[in-house]
Amino acid sequence: MKLIPTASQTVGPFFSLGLAPYYQDAEETLASASDAIVLHGAVVDGDRAPIPDCVLEFFAANFFARVATRSDGQYRVAIPPGAPMCEVLVFMRGLLLPALTRVHLGESTAKGDLALAAVPNERIPTLLAHPTNAPNEFEWNIRMQGDDETVFFET
Amino acid sequence: MTNSADDREARKKTQPPYLYPAYVSTQKRAPLKPLIPLPENHFSFFGPVFGHDAIRPADADLTRQHAGEPLGERIVVSGKVVDEDGRPVRGALVELWQANAAGRYRHDLDNHAAPLDPNFTGCGRLLTNEQGAYSFVSIKPGAYPWRNHENGWRPAHIHFSLFGAGILSRLVTQMYFPGDPLLPFDPVFNSIPDENARARLVSAFDLKTTKPGYALGYRFDIVLRGTKSTPMESHPR
Repeated sequence: MKLIPTASQTVGPFFSLGLAPYYQDAEETLASASDAIVLHGAVVDGDRAPIPDCVLEFFAANFFARVATRSDGQYRVAIPPGAPMCEVLVFMRGLLLPALTRVHLGESTAKGDLALAAVPNERIPTLLAHPTNAPNEFEWNIRMQGDDETVFFET
Repeated sequence: MTNSADDREARKKTQPPYLYPAYVSTQKRAPLKPLIPLPENHFSFFGPVFGHDAIRPADADLTRQHAGEPLGERIVVSGKVVDEDGRPVRGALVELWQANAAGRYRHDLDNHAAPLDPNFTGCGRLLTNEQGAYSFVSIKPGAYPWRNHENGWRPAHIHFSLFGAGILSRLVTQMYFPGDPLLPFDPVFNSIPDENARARLVSAFDLKTTKPGYALGYRFDIVLRGTKSTPMESHPR
């Protein structure tokens, strides 16, 4: 007989107290891998208000990074080359369990991905980061609600 | 990792929903569109592995991080971290944070009019041992008010963050204390539909782990989602 997994609870507003020691230092990552990609963007709520108390965890094969949003709701993470897609767990006050999404760095990395099979075509753009004018830099925003709500997956 | 329809139905009872209006912050932050199913066995890679090098013994004793000792009731919290099959989860990173004995967090945004304790930060971390067991020393956190609802108070709790074998094993939760009169009024705790699942977030007082003349023992066991059915089971760890 299987045991029942322990219930999730929110990280609350003061998570940095416990989680900050493992925040990624984006500059340090960039210093050690000059061809790393910088991903940045905003996390916003159902009123389009920036969410200043959000922590994001990026998972890819052989890569993990945790970053928090700043007071303006913006985050910034350095992703080493060779991770064209990351699974992303979103934690914040107001989320009783993490929301699971994913980010593709550029449209081409999403083509034919089996994980996207059940995503309606019109919602796929919410999972695509777009190159900015700066070299090796992408932008990806996370919208918790709204017509263009980011795709979140069943966990 | 199994993620069958039956598993999902069971989780609806034993895990909180995204939208729980009594917890007001969920109203503008909970995803509202249908969640998208992922293919069976989608998560075949393992989560990050954290090394012992970054963890110091003082990280698991929150009462010894400053020149003096913090005020409050000294406690030792211990338990075992296992997967759904009861197998110990070894080397799991456990991160902890909590308010001080007066119910105040050492955080810029906590404006509760209760004193900070110069001898208490309220942050700890450790790795589970070969048996999946963990233990840390702290002080019992105080309850504190919040603006969610009229005269709202959070019951005393310690935040836990755990990494298991993969992304679906990731758990952030809160440990509560037995007999806390605030539990029936707390929307965060009561967002979990199943009474037994809620009860498992309440630690048990434990005389066996109580250190005579030093600290009260509380026991809090944790079950992480497992990885048994993934095709990567034989992957070296």
